[in-house]
Amino acid sequence: MSALELDGVGKRYGDFHAVRDLSFKVEPGSIFGFLGPNGAGKTSTLRMVLGLIPPTTGRISVLGSSRPGVSLDRIGFLPEERGLYRLMTPLDAVVFFAGLKGVSASVARKRGRAMLEAQGLGEAIGRPMKALSKGMAQKVQLICALAHEPELVILDEPFSGLDPVNQQGLEGLIRDLARRGATVIFSTHVMAHAERLCERIVLMAQGRKVFDGTMAEARAAAPTRLVLEGALDPSSLATLPGLASVDRQDGVVDGASLYTLTLTPGGSAQAVLKAALQRDLDISQFRLETPTLHDAFIVLTKAHGHDEP
Amino acid sequence: MMSPDMVSTNMAASLNRLRLIATREFLSYLRTPGFWLSLMIGPIAASFGAMAPAMMHQAAPAPVLTVVDLSDTGAAPAIAAALGGRKPLAILVRPPAAAAQATSAAEAGGALRPYLSGDPPAGGPRLDAAAILSGSPEAIVVDFWSRDINDSDLQMVVRGAAAQSMQQARLRAAGLAPQLVAQLSTAAPAVHSYSPRAARGQVSMKDRLPSLLGLGLAFVLFFAIFTGAGILLNSVIEEKSSRILEVLLSSATVPELLGGKILGVAGVSAFIIAGWGAMGLLALQRAAPEMVAEVGSALMTHGLVVWFAFFFVLGYLMYASVFAAIGAFCETVREAQTLLGPIMILISLPVMFLTLALEHPDAPLIVVLSLVPPFTPFLMTARLAAGPPLWQTLGALVLMAATTTAVVWLCARAFRAGALSTGKLDLKRLALGLLGRAG
Repeated sequence: MSALELDGVGKRYGDFHAVRDLSFKVEPGSIFGFLGPNGAGKTSTLRMVLGLIPPTTGRISVLGSSRPGVSLDRIGFLPEERGLYRLMTPLDAVVFFAGLKGVSASVARKRGRAMLEAQGLGEAIGRPMKALSKGMAQKVQLICALAHEPELVILDEPFSGLDPVNQQGLEGLIRDLARRGATVIFSTHVMAHAERLCERIVLMAQGRKVFDGTMAEARAAAPTRLVLEGALDPSSLATLPGLASVDRQDGVVDGASLYTLTLTPGGSAQAVLKAALQRDLDISQFRLETPTLHDAFIVLTKAHGHDEP
Repeated sequence: MMSPDMVSTNMAASLNRLRLIATREFLSYLRTPGFWLSLMIGPIAASFGAMAPAMMHQAAPAPVLTVVDLSDTGAAPAIAAALGGRKPLAILVRPPAAAAQATSAAEAGGALRPYLSGDPPAGGPRLDAAAILSGSPEAIVVDFWSRDINDSDLQMVVRGAAAQSMQQARLRAAGLAPQLVAQLSTAAPAVHSYSPRAARGQVSMKDRLPSLLGLGLAFVLFFAIFTGAGILLNSVIEEKSSRILEVLLSSATVPELLGGKILGVAGVSAFIIAGWGAMGLLALQRAAPEMVAEVGSALMTHGLVVWFAFFFVLGYLMYASVFAAIGAFCETVREAQTLLGPIMILISLPVMFLTLALEHPDAPLIVVLSLVPPFTPFLMTARLAAGPPLWQTLGALVLMAATTTAVVWLCARAFRAGALSTGKLDLKRLALGLLGRAG
């Protein structure tokens, strides 16, 4: 049984299609990336998964149930835009939100205290939220979303607003959740986090799914690049086999120019290099650039009208 | 299909969420200084209201009046008698010599003017008002001068006394003996007030008490809605602007969230009202202990307090739902104010008819309006003590219950749509929210 399954899900607001015919599955205990540029339909999809808004078409099954709202106690949710009651203390906030998920006050208090202390918020336990820094408040809200030990954790842009140290801490926390058996779904438009954490991703653009698969499969969608340095002539480079494009990079070092050769899908960097050496091209250095998720993101979303994440 | 055990578990979980939301809402206001100020302001305002007449009398001593009778009309003694008594309405002083020796009303007025504006001339009295009498005893002309152009009470007393003096003069001129005229002027009927609605036929304060309490309870409802709505609106706006609503909606259903918030704020209002009631009861026990039992029995007249409880709950629920739904669409109080104006007017409209409902509970207009739901909780409460026909009370209750159900259902849809919406509030989005098509 999948932790989450969407089948032909669509969401329309009047004439605007926020999400179209979206289908994917998330396996239990995995870390799943839900990626896409702003306005791709990520937040609408997550809201449908949570039962906050009904889908216009299709079917959603969460933790084995297709009845909206039935599994809410087993889900932890961190929204994209965050906030807590300004006069509440972190511990009271954890007890309140865990209570809504069915955790008794005594258990929530004990668990909340331990989690807050583990996140370095021990001294802030009794202070009102308004006295906490933004980073501290975000940690408290994350703890509020996790204190009931959910089976499915949905994090909408969890890294936004966090400094690099806290981002690293959050990555560790997400890995810990998955190690304990929870399924983690997080949306982001920053590819580096997804690249480090996810086993599978779904990539959205303009409300449609443009990719669904593993990280390796996603990277394969982007072309491999070969960077050559030397006293090179672009016209002779263009005649090399298996190239989609030749781009000269800015700057000349000791009379040598730098060129990026983008290979055609399935093209071999070794074949290009071999041909270049056979033609006696003046190459002083070469470097193979394997595609990143960022490259894949740009290639996959460009086809749907988006340029940059 | 869910098993009975699962239904029972879900129900318990739902009630637990409702309780948690209501408790948080209640406690969050209990900790604010505004709550304790609200609790204290009622008794302070009531004490101030009770002491105000005495304080005003002390702060504004009786005005100084002079009467100049230019043609021996004989009305001056009647004016003096009308102004006197245990609490004199004015202090009568002799007119300045220049005014007393004047030959016309205009000349007397000119002579009095310096004494009525600014500081009086040396040795003369500082006057607040002056009555210059001219004409004849049967046709008196009064030129009334006053320092304060808005003070008409004193003028009315002088006019009444002069009129009575004129009537007596005319009766004497018609040949009636002065002794008989004097007897006629003091003649007045002994009036006894009866009503089939009075317990013993003759109307007493005890009979009027239920109606007065009904009016008071209608004002209590108005206060509860007015303050509760403000608290609820601010609370929802805070949660909306800080995006807490979205998290709450991922943990609780809209009925649990809306119900919990309304219940919590109703608890705040109930706490304040109960506090006022307790303080009022203590004050009554000290001031007039015999009245305590009468107030208790008045509250049970025609089931006043029981019916009031129904109308209170329905009215509060209806208005609170509307305010919560509006709050869900707004990120700032300023945004909410654009919609609050019409709602506040709607709430205030019934209050304008409350006095009429007290005096004429069976007037056709009041009967019809009390059956119209936005008016029902206020006007029926004010009418209840008069014992309206049962079909009217029950009909109003059924209509009110149906309307409240519809309003709460619509507001719950709007609340969900508003909670998840972004951007500024406009009527189109609100209408789509009410239709359940905004999200």
